[in-house]
Amino acid sequence: MIILERISTFSDILLGIASQPLSLAVLFGSVFLGIVFGAMPGLTSTLGVALLTALTYSMDTPLAMVCLLAIYVGGTYGGSYASILINIPGTAAAAATAMDGYPLACRGEGGRAIGLTTTASAIGTVVSMLFVVSISPLISKFALQFTSFEFFLLAFFGILISGTLTSPDLVIKGWIAGFLGLFLACIGRDQLQFYPRFTFGFSDLESGIEVVPVLIGAFGIPQIISVLKDKFTMGKAQKLQRIIPEVGTVIRNFPAIVRSALVGVGIGAVPGIGEDIAGWVSYGTAKNTSKHPETFGKGELKGVLASETANNACVGGAMIPLLNLGIPGSPPAAMLLGALMLHGVTPGPMITFEHPTFILEVAAILLMASMAMWVTGMLLAKQVVKILRIPTQVFMPVIGVLCIIGSYSLGLNIFNLYLMLPVGIICYFLTAMGYPIAPLVIGVILGPMADENIRRALMVSQGSFMPVFQRPVSLILFIIIVWTIVSQLPWYKRKTAALKQALVLKIKGSA
Amino acid sequence: MMDKDKLRKADLFSGGAIVLAGLFIVSQALKMPMKDSWGGVQNVWYVSPAVFPLFVGCTIVLLGLLLVRTALKHTGSRALADTARFFTGPAFREFLTRPSNIRFYAILVLLVSFVFIMIPRIDFFPAAVFFLVAFISMFYPDDDGLLKPLLLFYLGQTGVLVLCMATGLLERLSGAVPYPGDILVLVYIPMFAWFARSRIRALGSGEQMRKFHTGLAVALIAPIAVGMAFKYLLLVPMPFEGMVVALMDAVWYFEF
Repeated sequence: MIILERISTFSDILLGIASQPLSLAVLFGSVFLGIVFGAMPGLTSTLGVALLTALTYSMDTPLAMVCLLAIYVGGTYGGSYASILINIPGTAAAAATAMDGYPLACRGEGGRAIGLTTTASAIGTVVSMLFVVSISPLISKFALQFTSFEFFLLAFFGILISGTLTSPDLVIKGWIAGFLGLFLACIGRDQLQFYPRFTFGFSDLESGIEVVPVLIGAFGIPQIISVLKDKFTMGKAQKLQRIIPEVGTVIRNFPAIVRSALVGVGIGAVPGIGEDIAGWVSYGTAKNTSKHPETFGKGELKGVLASETANNACVGGAMIPLLNLGIPGSPPAAMLLGALMLHGVTPGPMITFEHPTFILEVAAILLMASMAMWVTGMLLAKQVVKILRIPTQVFMPVIGVLCIIGSYSLGLNIFNLYLMLPVGIICYFLTAMGYPIAPLVIGVILGPMADENIRRALMVSQGSFMPVFQRPVSLILFIIIVWTIVSQLPWYKRKTAALKQALVLKIKGSA
Repeated sequence: MMDKDKLRKADLFSGGAIVLAGLFIVSQALKMPMKDSWGGVQNVWYVSPAVFPLFVGCTIVLLGLLLVRTALKHTGSRALADTARFFTGPAFREFLTRPSNIRFYAILVLLVSFVFIMIPRIDFFPAAVFFLVAFISMFYPDDDGLLKPLLLFYLGQTGVLVLCMATGLLERLSGAVPYPGDILVLVYIPMFAWFARSRIRALGSGEQMRKFHTGLAVALIAPIAVGMAFKYLLLVPMPFEGMVVALMDAVWYFEF
């Protein structure tokens, strides 16, 4: 009965979006803009979501969600254009696509590859949407049993795992970035006693730092600096032939597509891990399970399918912890969280009570966005490719103006700009020195949750940490956190390597 | 990102800076009420506002120390002496004047001057056009020889503007002439464009001249499109509304 009711609500929402010309226009416009942002090397879907957050400020929440989710879906897919045609990933999410997409384009099969990525991306988004609808109520119900200790540990785990998996250099740098984010979140009056922390007498800092300008600075400014400083030049694009939907290839590879979608959803659901990791893991899995792994990297359609299905499936995956726990699953999801807060929606276990149809709305928008993406990709791919010819030196300064006016418009506060620019410059240096930015952003977002919950938990337990070991969920989270830390220690790595070697020798000996 | 050896050397310094940042956080957190009375309420340690910053600060110190240790293990203590020699020797000077670093300074100067000098005091439209004309002219021709004189010219113009603001000249002038700051920046735009054009013409390349004209068109159109979208469609007031916004308001709302 409940399922039928949910299906009915879901179809009502779908019809609502489809029957309103404004919603449809925003949907297609945002998907197209997302594809452009994804296709242009130097621009990312995160930056697209960030800049559009400012534009959606005056919209009502459902329309703003259509706009932001559509640009997120379009941006994740759009990265494949540059990967396939110029061998430079438009976004990090499409890096794995370049491995086989570019060789295909060199063979004159660029249109086929883009047709395939379009269909695979749409399927990936739809599969992830199914997971959002089916898993969210269960997680939400489970999360209602969480107490403050669990929420603190969950936030802490989110920062640690994000730091561990997104660090391009040493894992420790990812953790440092996460804790720097937590520090930024401490600025302002604390939520329990209203004591001013790290405000240094600046009244603008009393209410804490605004999340969205910090995110715009952290993602936008380093991008502008690195693209212009390092003289980023685009290669000559391969010729694009007729775009073919490649439905036959998709049907033949359906099990592989489902597997890639599951990988994408799974990785998306891990806090702070982006679409790029989903793409690579899925590509690696496809290669390892293939009967002909030697064909990968030489224009194998299965490689393109694997990475593109997974990175778009990651979008829905990232929505699961975002909506149910208030923990963003990826950097663009972090931006979405900031946007939702601006619109008065606080994601978390209470979302099903405060906004009963919100998760279904998100799922319906994801479905509509995947359809809009497929249609736009099939019809306008050749026009999007023309945009690849715009020189980065021209559009990056314009993006700078957009970052600045966008940060200001959220709250109409010039202080946001004074915050955004230094944060952006610091993030540039951090990126250059191998510190990932995603954990920093996750830290800024989860900081208030961690701070408030640890103190509330200690208040209830009268300063005792024993409840962590007495409650099963918190104990499991605690063990995972300890394991995440210990697994990075050199002696642990040495021991596990030795153990593996001994096991292999034993198996060989017994054989 | 740098290569591994350079990264480890940089880690020594970034790790050190992170330890110092962590110590600063801890020192500030220790000033917060721990067991004292705050707002008439007697604190206990676990509800103190210092608990979380102390945890964060101590962890940052610990992680920073671990990073320094890892870097020292990789580079050896000799790297410290090498790095000290690099900073005091001619190599550092050469590093500072590398074309990529000049480009970096140019980006910083442009962004910092736009955000901290122009945006709060000059009408958004002339400020954004000036910023874009300078930015695109410096980078679109993709010529490091051209970038340096353009940057110096821009610095000179901005310096004069700052001087006018700091001495209170603009404020005094505003009694006699409305919007003196906006007028000055409106004068700056053709001045900069003329200077950039003359330098590009000296290169004798038709391609560079075409790039300059394209850049100029983008610099004029983009702020108008962006500004109008925010101001009149999203109803977001501009950070500073001066002469151009007043004129646009008059046209938009038919205030004649």
